[in-house]
Amino acid sequence: MTAGTTPAPARQCAELARKDLLLEWRAGEALLVTAPFGAVALMFVPLAVGSDVPLLRQIGPGMYWLVVLLFGVLVTLRQSAVDDQAQRAVLRLCGVSPAVRLAGRALANTVLVLTFALLLAPVAVILYDPELSGWPWFVLALPLVAVGLALLGTLADALADGLAGRTALGPLLVVPVALPLLLGAVQVLDAARYGYRPWPWLLLMLTLDLLVALAAGLLVRHLEETV
Amino acid sequence: MTLFGRRLPIAVATVAAIGLAAAMLAPPERLQGDLQRLMYVHVPAAWIAYLSFAVTLGASIAWLWRREPRFDRVAAASAEAGVVFTGLAIALGSVWGKPTWGVWWTWDPRVVTTAVMFFVYLGYLALRRATLDPMSRARRSSVFGVVAFIQVPIVHMSVVWWRALHQPPTVLQPGHPPIDHTMLATLLINLAAFTLLYLLVVRARVRLAVAEEELAARALAEGSELAGSAVSAPRLEVK
Amino acid sequence: MPNTVPGTDLGVSLCDVTVEVERVPVLRGFDFSLAIGECVGVMGANGSGKSTLLRVLATLLPPVRGEGWVLGAPLGTSACTLVRPRIALIGHTAALYPGLSLRENLRFLARLTGRDERAADESLDLVGLAGAAERKAEVCSHGMRRRAELARVLLTEPRLLLLDEAHAGLDESSLGLIESVVNRVRADGGACVLVSHDQPRLNSVADRVVEIVAGRARHRGGIAA
Repeated sequence: MTAGTTPAPARQCAELARKDLLLEWRAGEALLVTAPFGAVALMFVPLAVGSDVPLLRQIGPGMYWLVVLLFGVLVTLRQSAVDDQAQRAVLRLCGVSPAVRLAGRALANTVLVLTFALLLAPVAVILYDPELSGWPWFVLALPLVAVGLALLGTLADALADGLAGRTALGPLLVVPVALPLLLGAVQVLDAARYGYRPWPWLLLMLTLDLLVALAAGLLVRHLEETV
Repeated sequence: MTLFGRRLPIAVATVAAIGLAAAMLAPPERLQGDLQRLMYVHVPAAWIAYLSFAVTLGASIAWLWRREPRFDRVAAASAEAGVVFTGLAIALGSVWGKPTWGVWWTWDPRVVTTAVMFFVYLGYLALRRATLDPMSRARRSSVFGVVAFIQVPIVHMSVVWWRALHQPPTVLQPGHPPIDHTMLATLLINLAAFTLLYLLVVRARVRLAVAEEELAARALAEGSELAGSAVSAPRLEVK
Repeated sequence: MPNTVPGTDLGVSLCDVTVEVERVPVLRGFDFSLAIGECVGVMGANGSGKSTLLRVLATLLPPVRGEGWVLGAPLGTSACTLVRPRIALIGHTAALYPGLSLRENLRFLARLTGRDERAADESLDLVGLAGAAERKAEVCSHGMRRRAELARVLLTEPRLLLLDEAHAGLDESSLGLIESVVNRVRADGGACVLVSHDQPRLNSVADRVVEIVAGRARHRGGIAA
């Protein structure tokens, strides 16, 4: 056998994310179960509020972001992202620190939330026929929402780890705190539609992302049971 | 643990009685009449809500730093009190809003932020309830106690910006007329009464937590000493 | 640093250690030592703390009282992170990702520890799983998963090998494989701790056997030479 030299944390983080994505690709929970469920929610809104085209055009972006937020949390809390005690012990013994493990999970979550949101975007366009002139701003807002949601989801998952009500508790921990992401994303598209600069909203979302990343980085050593 | 000893309940009763009397005797507001007296409860409740969540933040940071159980007890007790006072503030605000503004709910940034905090700390308490091991519970809830509170300013700012882009409430603008001196004094007395009540509630809750822990420790000491001694030889015999 | 702390002449040393799980004491006043090149068997009734002891030795569960050193690192300190890559733990349940094939599982660990992927394939071959390497862990039998875990040991070349009930439910060839892996670790300058209920098996593999009784270690003396 070849002697191992522990790779850089970034490399370990990428390996962990790759493993998470491969497991999720095979399980298909986020993209084959949660995404269709989100599409059903988008389809049911017009059935609940009426199929008036101007009304749907107006509420379309808001409904889209709401579904991305609520169902995106479920993507981060998917079953394929649960590490049991034995798997975690092996990771620790392979020299993977808790911070790197959570960073890998957050990276995989970002990719999955981003994919999930991109899958739902055409569904929202077809069902609500919104104004599409602000699409460049949408492209800027989407990664900020995905990163924020992925970080909050990772944090909530670590907090609710091993608890009986993990999937019920996770959304309650994430969603209220994610309010600026919802407002920011909706207002970015509104701003583009009404012709004013949405930079403050993008900055707000970026601030939230950085704040959560900073808090997670500082508190990560308290998230594991042992030293 | 003394925190004013027996003087605290007496102080609460005295100041609360004075506050209640002052609220009844203060002149009615010119436009709103007696309805405005709700403010003597609503404003202090909202103040206590923010105070208690700030105390939870402080105690959470202290626990993460020193890992002493007393900080976890204070954090939990304060969050419980905070959720009750936040609920009270929201409910009273709603009761006051309906006849004043014509609606039960208004999208005022302070109201929205307060409601978000209510749900965030319901999550905090749910997290505590779901975690059985005391050490793990303290660890998880302290982390969440910090993350939850540092988001409050940014949540508030986002709602303020959001409101700035929308038209204000159409039924009646929630104005801030200059407040009468008697009313101000009444409000301050009630603020003091609620703060003392908050201290009393948190103190009682912390004492209860200590008693619960002692009970659990005693059961552990009296019962099986070691985890393994709970397993004895099977009594079922082979015939 | 590892050469300046007490107990460095030993692979492992626990002195008057108390360990709690969810605030319930499992081990109390526990003394234990293990020299490099030695293999110690651990016995004990159900719930006596055998698996907990292995988690302590793996530096994953710090004692609440007492002192301990593993491969020179004081337990409960950040020095443990330095020695962890030299420890392998095979627990009750296989630490494999069910959705990945055996090869993917091993290659993942190889990349994570900075080793060549070919080393992962080679270790699977050594444990006789080359033919089943593409099979997902979730469809593998208990014995196959155990062998894949032993392949992990061969891959990571530990100085301290901790086996928890590794013999349970295995056929003769797999049992022989465990013995070979243990001997290889010892030959490479490592030490082993084997937890088992199978006393004859322990007697044949271990240098001495320790029994956990009432949270303490009771030494049953040397057996094999």
